[in-house]
Amino acid sequence: MTQQPLLAVNNLQTHFLIRKGLLRRVVGHVQAVDGVSFAIGKRRTLGLVGESGCGKTTVGRSILRLVEPTGGDVVFDGASVPALGAAELRALRRRMQIVFQDPYGSLNPRMTVRSILEEGLVIHALGDARERLDRMRRALERTGMPAAALERYPHEFSGGQRQRIAIARALVLEPEFLVLDEPISALDVSIQAQVVNLLVELREELGLTYLFISHDLSVVEYVSDEVAVMYLGRIVERAAAADLYRAPLHPYTLALFSAVPSVEPARRRRRIILSGDVPSPSRPPRGCRFHPRCPLAETVCREVDPPATPLDGHVVHCHVAARELEATGGDVSVAAARLAEKMAAAGSSASGTITAGNG
Amino acid sequence: MPLLDIKNLVTAFHTPAGRVPAVDGVSLAIERGKTLGLVGESGCGKSVTAMSILRLVASPGVIESGEILLAKDGGSVDLTKLPEPDLRKIRGGRIGMIFQEPMTSLNPVFTIGDQIVEAVRLHKPVSREQARTKALEMLALVRLADPELRLDEYPHQLSGGMRQRVMIAMALACDPDLVIADEPTTALDVTIQAQILELLADLRRRLGTAILLITHDLGVVAETCDDVAVMYAGRIVERASAAELFAHPRHPYTIGLLAARPGPGGRHDGPLKTIPGMVPPPQHFPTGCRFHPRCAFARLPHCAEEAPSLRTVAAGHEARCHYADELSESDDLGEQRGAPA
Repeated sequence: MTQQPLLAVNNLQTHFLIRKGLLRRVVGHVQAVDGVSFAIGKRRTLGLVGESGCGKTTVGRSILRLVEPTGGDVVFDGASVPALGAAELRALRRRMQIVFQDPYGSLNPRMTVRSILEEGLVIHALGDARERLDRMRRALERTGMPAAALERYPHEFSGGQRQRIAIARALVLEPEFLVLDEPISALDVSIQAQVVNLLVELREELGLTYLFISHDLSVVEYVSDEVAVMYLGRIVERAAAADLYRAPLHPYTLALFSAVPSVEPARRRRRIILSGDVPSPSRPPRGCRFHPRCPLAETVCREVDPPATPLDGHVVHCHVAARELEATGGDVSVAAARLAEKMAAAGSSASGTITAGNG
Repeated sequence: MPLLDIKNLVTAFHTPAGRVPAVDGVSLAIERGKTLGLVGESGCGKSVTAMSILRLVASPGVIESGEILLAKDGGSVDLTKLPEPDLRKIRGGRIGMIFQEPMTSLNPVFTIGDQIVEAVRLHKPVSREQARTKALEMLALVRLADPELRLDEYPHQLSGGMRQRVMIAMALACDPDLVIADEPTTALDVTIQAQILELLADLRRRLGTAILLITHDLGVVAETCDDVAVMYAGRIVERASAAELFAHPRHPYTIGLLAARPGPGGRHDGPLKTIPGMVPPPQHFPTGCRFHPRCAFARLPHCAEEAPSLRTVAAGHEARCHYADELSESDDLGEQRGAPA
C-alpha cells in the first residue's frame, strides 16, 4: 500500500477485568484483544474472520472506543483515537460508524425510523430541519428503502429491511469508515445476497472504507481486499484475500477453511477436524495460542510465541509455516501446499481418536 | 415401507388475526438408516413440521389433517392419532430429538448424568446403576473427554460443542430408530460444527439410526444427507437425492438459493445473484405458486393463478413448478448458478 492508510491499528490490546466477591476484587483478565495490528487504506476493505470469542467484535468496538482499549494505538486519518478528548472523539465518530449484527436488537423499537436516523444528526448538530430531512431521505434511498419508511417503526419491517435501516442510520452522517460487525449473519440466505450487494455498491459509490467482521468465509472473500484471521485475541494470518484463500499458511486458517461445508464438490477441501474447543481468553496457552489444538505443534510451539513472518504482504504467525517458507525459499504457494499436506496427514491419522474438551 | 411416512400434513396456528397455516400439505418419507435434510428459510415451516411429528407444536398450533405413520411390527401407527401416554413412550424412545440451542434444552439444575439416567429409565426397565452405566457408555460414544467426570457436571460447566455432544448422547441413549435434529450445529462455530457433523455421520454408520436434519445451511445438507426436501412458504417445493438436487436443481427457489452464495474465487464475477423481495409470512402466502412474486422465471398470469403440484421431473426428483421442465438444462440456469468453474 503506497498511500497513507485511513486507519492504522498498532498493537491494540483490550482486556476486560474479571471481578469476584463482595469487594469486586480483580481476580483475572480476559485478554479479548491482545496485540492486534493492521492497516486499511482509503476505499479498501479488510475482512476480519474468526470464531466466537476470538476478539473480532472487540477489535471493531475498540477502534470506535465503544469499549476502551487497554493499550496500543488506533490512528484514524493521522489522529490517535485513544488520545482524543470527549469533544474530539465525538467529531471523529461522525466519520466512523458501525453496523451491528442484529437488526432486531440494534434499532430502538419505541422510536420511529425518522427519530432513529435523526438522532445522529442532532448530536452532531448537522443542518437545519429541512437539510436533515433531505439527508435522511437520501440515506434511505441509497439503501433501497422508500422515504415513507421514516414515519414507521422498526417492527413493521422484515430483518433485511431493518438491516437496511441500520445501514442508513450509519450513512446519514456521511462517514468515511464503517465497522460492519456480522452485518448479514442474522439474515436469511436469500436476503444476505441483497445486503452484500448493497454494501459493495455503497462502497463503490461513496468511496467508503470497511472493516468487515464476519465468520462467513465465502462472503468475506467476496467483499474484502485483504483478510485477517483471528484466534484467541491475536491475528494469526493476514494477506490479500485472493492470496489467503489460494494459499493459506497458518494451520488454523487451513482447518477453518476446510471446515466450511460446501454445496460444490469441487470446492470441498479435505476436512481437517480440530480436536477440542477454543481455550478461554482469560487463560491463554503459553507459546503459540493455537498449539493445544494444532496437529503440527512441536516443542517450540509450546514455549515460544511465534513472531510475524512477513512475505510480500502475506503475514503469518507460525513456527512451522516460517520453517516451510524458509525451506522453499519464500515460495508461498509451495509452502502452503506442503503445509496442507502435513495437516491432512496429521488429521487423518488422528481421525479415529478425536476427543472433545481438554482444549 | 419407510420408517416414517408423513402424508399431507397440515399444521395451522389459530391466532386472533385468523388461521395461519405454517405447514400446508407436507408429505415426506424417511427410510431406515438414511439421512433426510429438510431445508428452508425462517418461517418456511420446517421446524413446525418436525415438532408436529412428536406433537410438540405449542398452542395455538394444531395438527389439522394428515397422517404421520411410524413403522411398527410390520405395520404402522399414526402418531397424530396415538393416545398421549403411548406417544410419550415414543418421544425420546424410538424417536430422539436434538435441538439448536443445547443450553436451553438441557436442565441447568441437574447434572448431565442425572438427565441421561432419567431419559433412559423413562423408556427402559433398568436400575439406576444400569442406567448410569448406559449414560457413561453414551458419553464415551459421542467422544466426550473424561466421561466419568462429566457425568457429575452441570450443563453450564461445558462448552457449546460439549453440550451438543451431551444432547446427542441423550437422544441416542434409548437406541432410537429416528433422530430429529433441528439446526443441531447452527449455534456452533464452524470447526466445532465439523466435529459434530462428523460425529453424527459416524454414529449413523455404526448404529443405523435414521436422521431428519433440519437446517437452513445448504452446505451442511450437501455434505451429510442422502436425500433433501426444500421447503418454501409451508410447502415442499423440491425433493431429490442430495447428489441430484445440488447438481441439477429444478425449482427456481432452489436455483436462486444456490446462486445467492458467492462462488469460489470471490469478487470478480460482479454482484451476487439475488432472490428479490422477502420470505412471505404465513398470514400472507401468495396465491397460485407461492414463490411467483420472487421468481425470475414466473409467467403471468399462469403462475399467480394456478398452484403447481409437486410432480416428478426426473427419476427420483420432484419439483413444484409449472415450468420445471424448461428450466432443466437451459443456459439461463448455468448463468443463474453464477459459479464459474
